[in-house]
Amino acid sequence: MSSKITFSIGGVHPDDAKLARACATEVLPLPEVVYVSMAQHLGAPAKPVVSVGDYVKAGQVIAEPGGFISAFVHSPVSGTVKSIAPRKDLAGNSVTHVEIAVEGDEWAEGIDLSDTLVTEIPEDRQFILDRVKNNGVVGLGGATFPAHVKLNPAPGSKAECLILNGAECEPYLTSDYRIMVERPKEIVIGAAIMQKVLGGCRCVIGIEENKPEAIKSMSEAVASLGYPDIRVQVLKKRYPQGGEKQLIDAVMHRQVGSGALPISVGAVVQNVATSLAVYEAVQKNKPLVTNTLTITGDCLPVEKMHNYLFRIGMPLSYIAEVAGGVPQDAAKIISGGPMMGRAISNLDACTVKGSSSLLYLSESRTRRKSASACIRCGRCSDACPMGLEPFLLNRLYKAGDVEGLEQASAQDCIECGCCLYSCPAYIPLLDYVRQAKGMALGAIRARAAAAKAAAEAAKAAAPTPAPAEAAKNNEKISK
Amino acid sequence: MTTIIWTIVTLAALGLVLSVVLFFVAKKFKVEEDPRIDEVEKVMPGANCGGCGFAGCRAFADSAVKASSLDGIFCPVGGNDVMKKVAGILGYELKEKAPEVAVLRCNGTCSARPRVNDYDGAASCRVKAALYSGDTLCAFGCLGCGDCVAACQFGAISMDPETGLPVVDEAKCTACGACAKACPRKLIEIRPKGPRSMRVYVACSNRDKGPAAKKACANACIGCGICAKTCTHGAVTVENNIAYIDPTKCKLCRECEAMCPTGAIHGLNFPKPLDKAAVKARIAERAKKAKEAANEQ
Repeated sequence: MSSKITFSIGGVHPDDAKLARACATEVLPLPEVVYVSMAQHLGAPAKPVVSVGDYVKAGQVIAEPGGFISAFVHSPVSGTVKSIAPRKDLAGNSVTHVEIAVEGDEWAEGIDLSDTLVTEIPEDRQFILDRVKNNGVVGLGGATFPAHVKLNPAPGSKAECLILNGAECEPYLTSDYRIMVERPKEIVIGAAIMQKVLGGCRCVIGIEENKPEAIKSMSEAVASLGYPDIRVQVLKKRYPQGGEKQLIDAVMHRQVGSGALPISVGAVVQNVATSLAVYEAVQKNKPLVTNTLTITGDCLPVEKMHNYLFRIGMPLSYIAEVAGGVPQDAAKIISGGPMMGRAISNLDACTVKGSSSLLYLSESRTRRKSASACIRCGRCSDACPMGLEPFLLNRLYKAGDVEGLEQASAQDCIECGCCLYSCPAYIPLLDYVRQAKGMALGAIRARAAAAKAAAEAAKAAAPTPAPAEAAKNNEKISK
Repeated sequence: MTTIIWTIVTLAALGLVLSVVLFFVAKKFKVEEDPRIDEVEKVMPGANCGGCGFAGCRAFADSAVKASSLDGIFCPVGGNDVMKKVAGILGYELKEKAPEVAVLRCNGTCSARPRVNDYDGAASCRVKAALYSGDTLCAFGCLGCGDCVAACQFGAISMDPETGLPVVDEAKCTACGACAKACPRKLIEIRPKGPRSMRVYVACSNRDKGPAAKKACANACIGCGICAKTCTHGAVTVENNIAYIDPTKCKLCRECEAMCPTGAIHGLNFPKPLDKAAVKARIAERAKKAKEAANEQ
């Protein structure tokens, strides 16, 4: 095994608290009713294609992509569509949900529900991409970016390395760890499928050193399946190792430029859970309607912690109920990890494709201390994995200096929260820097839109070049 | 001694020479500026608030002088008095504007809106709005962190600790609109002040359907439309489950206010408190007469 590596700047070392690591994945029983959100992914919300009163089978398409960056949504259960109406998501904002009353568990035709491992990888690249798209696979590392878009880089760019993200650097979360221990072969096959789609690049599976069992099982799976050019890379434990740009830095020692995509340095990063979803979508034709979720936190005794295989659309309150109720001393319930996750303001919200945890944290762990003045110690700058100066961004934001924010690269913030974690004055840096990022991005987008409009206007005004001239230009290019 | 004398003489000579140079340079490179800009700037309030849409009072004066009329040029802080002077200086025709005031379109007081969450992040409405829908079940109402208070240059807004809502001091408000821009929920509307400051408006912005709005807040507009049916002046419209009273059409009869089942419609600065029973009786009487007239036909 090669030596341990990590990313080059910033980062913090929170206690990893992987308390639920020993809990084997259990399948959640079906609730009476599910609410499937139409905003399961990054990009445009999906458009429902079923109507009230329809009977749907599990795995049947219930919504189509609402744009280029969007994804199919499938019914997670069989039953009758009761309503299509706005409902509050976990931040309390209204999103269109399809309500389905569960009747039995009948799956749509053409879906292989057996456990047999299909190791043979389809030859046809387009077939694979179609399966990934039609089965609604999105990135499960947090951003829920539609996978088929990422696996189909723009012409001219070539993927050199597929990085499988098994870092799971967020404290508490163990869902990726459990699938790496329990279903390593499926993950490796998924990786091989993505290698194929990307044109035969190498593949590195990055796993942090605090998961020795996962490293062992994944290494064994890679060795036993014998696909070419796949290896497991042990990473030093450090947050935010699972960040896309940080992982590329750690594995390939390349830096992705400001505003650029990973493909610009020849990298494609996918989460291990996404790889599993790709396996199921391509080899089994099974849509993405399930994912693994950890129930943990410092308020729970270890015997009450769980790793659940859930179906999308299950109300969080139902899952909490099945797991034994919300503990009395939970001051905050968080969806996602404690560093980047969001506090849940509405427990009636439902699981989506990207749900990864229900985290019960106590008052002492979550209550923010009152902020005092910045003492210019520079810890936030040291901790920032993007090399930004959060204290400066905070000041520029308060002064409303959009130009200054752009120069200070506020748009590059990945919202990892290292600045807030390391600030000895307890200044809510992340809150302000996130706003600053929005301001800088807004200015950049406004400029791009203006430039595009100007270019279009110029194009419309200018006469089309004469054919002779165009031919000359072509000649020049071919020379 | 001689050192001091020489120093004084040298400096005086230097000063003299440089002042002569400066005098000629100032003559030669004089920037010709319309003297009216200075005159207009002198009558401006000098708040430099940007409420007019220009970058400060000087920029306003500059634009006003360069424009050919006062269309779209109005100083909300100075109001008609200042604009009269500006029009006098420039010789333009004055377009009088009814005085305006900031109005909060939310009445989700602490007692009316049960809190279901606790927020301990940065004390900024903008930050809070980006994170989630707020401490209460209402995803449209006031977030209570006081971004509007911070935005107001005139000290006209303060938070009422009892209700948790901002209060506008009408005497100080200049209707510059800074608070309306600062509010991430767009709850503050700049409305005509009305005759003797009397006005009727809907103090709610909840676009949820009736039951959800009612559950979130006891004072919410439930979009029932009774106000729109009651209004005989066509001033009330209901759109997206929320009523709106057009200040240009409203005749201040307060019938909608009396009929509103949730008390979402507020009448301000009226000399007498609203006698709901009398107004309702008046409406019933009118309905009866209309029915009789219809029957006769």
